Amino acid sequence: MTADATHKVTVANRGGRELAVADGENIADACEAAGIAVPIACRYGGCITCAGRLVSGSVRQPKGTALNKRQSQDGYILMCVAQPKEDCIVEVGVETHTNLYRNPFLGPLK
Amino acid sequence: MSKECCGPGYASPKEAMQADREKLLHTVALYVGTGVEKPDYLATVDVDPDSPTYSSVVARTEMPQVGDELHHSGWNACSSCHDDASKSRQYLLMPGVRTSNINVIDTSDDTNPKLHKVISGDEIKAKTNLSAPHTVHCLGADIIISMLGDADGNAPGGFLHINEDFDIVGRWENDITGMNYNYDFWYQPRHNMMVSSEWGAPNTFMPGFDLEDVGAGKYGQSIHFWDFEGKKIVKSIDMGADGMIPLEVRGLHDPDSNEGMFAATLSSNVFRWWKTDDGDFEIEKVIDIPTIDVDGFPVPMPSLITDILISMDDKYLYFANWLHGDLRQYDITDRANPKMTGQVWLGGMLGKAPEVNGVKVQGAPQMIQLSLDGKRLYVTTSLFSSWDNQFYPGMKDQGGQMYMIDCDTDKGGISINPDFVVDFGKEPNGPSRCHEMRYPGGDVTSDIWM
Ligand code: FES
Repeated sequence: MTADATHKVTVANRGGRELAVADGENIADACEAAGIAVPIACRYGGCITCAGRLVSGSVRQPKGTALNKRQSQDGYILMCVAQPKEDCIVEVGVETHTNLYRNPFLGPLK
Repeated sequence: MSKECCGPGYASPKEAMQADREKLLHTVALYVGTGVEKPDYLATVDVDPDSPTYSSVVARTEMPQVGDELHHSGWNACSSCHDDASKSRQYLLMPGVRTSNINVIDTSDDTNPKLHKVISGDEIKAKTNLSAPHTVHCLGADIIISMLGDADGNAPGGFLHINEDFDIVGRWENDITGMNYNYDFWYQPRHNMMVSSEWGAPNTFMPGFDLEDVGAGKYGQSIHFWDFEGKKIVKSIDMGADGMIPLEVRGLHDPDSNEGMFAATLSSNVFRWWKTDDGDFEIEKVIDIPTIDVDGFPVPMPSLITDILISMDDKYLYFANWLHGDLRQYDITDRANPKMTGQVWLGGMLGKAPEVNGVKVQGAPQMIQLSLDGKRLYVTTSLFSSWDNQFYPGMKDQGGQMYMIDCDTDKGGISINPDFVVDFGKEPNGPSRCHEMRYPGGDVTSDIWM
């Protein structure tokens, strides 16, 4: 295994568990393989169920379409398609969704 | 012609109204977007007032996978197969909007429904390039399902055709020219017609509702009339600002009738549709719910008519205003001039009825289902997980609720039944959201006559 074949993903809100995620593997699969339950549905980046937050690092999200611009700017990523490009810290689960949704009739639109 | 037979359903709407009172009701219950990592399930609710378990969930049938977002459901057969003794109303098809899986549930033992088969979303996408299944209607031996997107979640989607063994036949439609988006549909076989409506692309509505998307034209505002046998659209009507996001489409139950109603959800208007004597199709707006200016809201709040239905005798129209929080009954004897005859408040953003029957309401009136005799209207409070989480974020921790409304079918008028409430906040695996409902014996949004 070469040094850059895997990236370390730290799941901050699951006791800081550290996962070794291979190139081309997504974070949701890696979480499940490690026994960390994450919300999951379509598994192709189309439904937002698996959304979580990227605290640091960067990811590639091929085919991920379920997040709008504001949600991405607020740091949300789709775990089912997110492939780390470097070591990352993430937060998973519905408890991270507080800022994911907003009532569009409340507050001015950005 | 009217031979004695024992196919599913009833010979006519009149006969359906004489059926025994419903004793059970099936509703979908969801864990999507709640934080409970469990499959969605079919909850069977006891609605027999003489039973010791009245007003509670008596069976739970889990789907085989997590994350479906169960939404609407439909039977393998309805009254349109009444004179076919080889058919029975046995299987409930329960699509998952997010996974595109279609779970087929065997309800032969209706107090203990069981999974019969799953048509996998991956297979549907591979064979038909469709995703996000929504409305299920049976057509004699076959079943068609409106699909809201292509395999990548883009508009306009189409219609999936499956056979009575629940195998994929392919796409049903021959031509969808004119359709921008897809959602619900209703058909009237005697008039060789079908009507379909428009929500938005899965890629648009899955992340939640955004007014910017409305401005960008990413939500529907057209209604489509089909040549049912030719499987093609013959007329589309763009309703503009009056007709934004047309969702549930209902026809009158009289099989000779060529008219019905639908609601434009965001514009919060009810339209009547009909086929003219020379075969053209027309619509007209018959109800307009005004927006309300609410302190602190930058835009006027629409009522958001999210579900609508017509009683079996075609006399009353019911609909739910999911943001304002009221449920209304209209006398539609004069089709062009509906008259409001009843209104109740349940939850909602105006805060008029935060607690009902001892339970704090999460959400507001949303899916509705009327008993065959028209006297009991059941209502649930969840719309769609990501939209619930925007408008009523408390629901993900407190669950949805089911209530029953008593309906006066002689003079008009509705009231909340004080003895019935099912609080899905108290479910054993954690709070869930309840959505569409079906009765084992058929209901006013399933049964169509040939
Ligand atoms: S599971 Fe649907 S976007 Fe990830």
